[in-house]
Amino acid sequence: MEHAGSSSAVTEKMREDDKRMVREKKRGRFGRLVTSVPELTILIMLLIGGYIVMAVFSKVQGTQVLDPFSMWLIIVGSFLISTAIAIIAVIAGIGGGVIFTPIMLGFTTMDSLVIRATGLVVAMFGGLISSGPFMKSRLANLRIVFFCGVPISIGALAGSVCAIYLHSALGLVGDGLVRLSLGVLMLVIAYFLFTGGGKTEYPEPELIDPLSVKLGLKGSYWEGSLGKVVDYQLVKALPGALIFIFLGFIGGFFGMGGGAFLTATLNLVMMAPVKIAAACSGVLLAISDATAIWTYITYGALIAILAAPWMLGHVVGGILGAHLLIRIRAGFVRKILIFILILSSVKLIARGVEGAFGIHIPILG
Amino acid sequence: MPGEKLKAPFAGLVYGQIIYWGVMIGSLIVMFGSIVAFITRDNYVPVSYWLSSVWRGDSPSKIWQGITGSLPMGHWYFSHLTTGDGLSALGISLAVFSVVPALFLSSAVLFKEGDRLYGSLALVCGIIVLTGVLGLIPIG
Repeated sequence: MEHAGSSSAVTEKMREDDKRMVREKKRGRFGRLVTSVPELTILIMLLIGGYIVMAVFSKVQGTQVLDPFSMWLIIVGSFLISTAIAIIAVIAGIGGGVIFTPIMLGFTTMDSLVIRATGLVVAMFGGLISSGPFMKSRLANLRIVFFCGVPISIGALAGSVCAIYLHSALGLVGDGLVRLSLGVLMLVIAYFLFTGGGKTEYPEPELIDPLSVKLGLKGSYWEGSLGKVVDYQLVKALPGALIFIFLGFIGGFFGMGGGAFLTATLNLVMMAPVKIAAACSGVLLAISDATAIWTYITYGALIAILAAPWMLGHVVGGILGAHLLIRIRAGFVRKILIFILILSSVKLIARGVEGAFGIHIPILG
Repeated sequence: MPGEKLKAPFAGLVYGQIIYWGVMIGSLIVMFGSIVAFITRDNYVPVSYWLSSVWRGDSPSKIWQGITGSLPMGHWYFSHLTTGDGLSALGISLAVFSVVPALFLSSAVLFKEGDRLYGSLALVCGIIVLTGVLGLIPIG
């Protein structure tokens, strides 16, 4: 009797578990996200309501350049595109600026400093908002972030100041040469990531330098796709730090963040697993761009009304992207990263050739 | 969240949460500022001027020449906090600034836990960002 009673209790529990699983399945990934991140739901509802109010009660007057509806469209369109870019960018471990800045520089007539300032907002906010979930899930390693944070923020500050100084001094030729070399470098990184195969997902360093050991640049995280804890040890702390100064400079100068380079440096040079590299690069981007953007803000290059929808889109997309990254396999992240690197480098090379040598390339539009 | 099977370091949680909620509050201010900018005329500079100038490709110096005659070279929005565009700029700045207290408090936690090396690195990071906020490096 006792055995039968216990068996019926187990069956009942299994039924309840099945029912719970069916309910979870019905709700779906986004349904779970709505209940687990209520502030995101509230923010999205406020944004939808806000943009409707802005359309209905607008008191904005038209100009010779834009009519009031076009202005509203620019704001709402920017928000929607920004959200889409943020989701892709956070999952790929890059800053949205790598997508935003080349496209805006290529296809619009907007001033390059205004684009670069807005580009920093685009590059930064996905990383800022995903810092919380990444820290909580241990995907972002605090030691890696603070160790690389110092050189990258120094570089970013120097880059932003140089951008302002050289805006008029270097002209299009100098700007073009830097873009060209940047584009080539991005292609090289894309090639290494492409040929690296499974080795870069969970790299195993052959030689560990004493400095990296002394600094304790190691950690562990739960890899859901493998169903186990993965331990890792970073290497080449000093070369890594030097590269981060350079990457910070590039990010601050171009307003692109350079997240793709950060992920590649952490993964290919310092041997962090690609998921850790992607998460840490997001958090590092936030620190470096938060340093660089003040130069643009105080100079007056950040136009808040224009940057606002890009920021809001990245806040919404950043949260969505951060929650998706935790559930997506590392290899999938790498494929997206390679695709975006190639796209960005083609754009940069084209712009670089045109700027440096005056050769018009039709793909620029 | 599967990653929660391992306990996250407290300093990391402090860092992440301060930035997360700083950005959330900043976003609400930005949204409110954008609505005010569009549905009222309480703006430091009309929305139509901002967007038309940017769309036309005017440089920052040209845009500001039409407003004050020269570049702001500082945090112009602090004296225009009741305007839509001023609030939008404040919201963005506040959200970005959240990195500073996050770094300092995270540093304090690390020092308390006895991790002087990484506590110092977080502190140095915070000071560098603060240098940018205060505009201590001349930009022309």
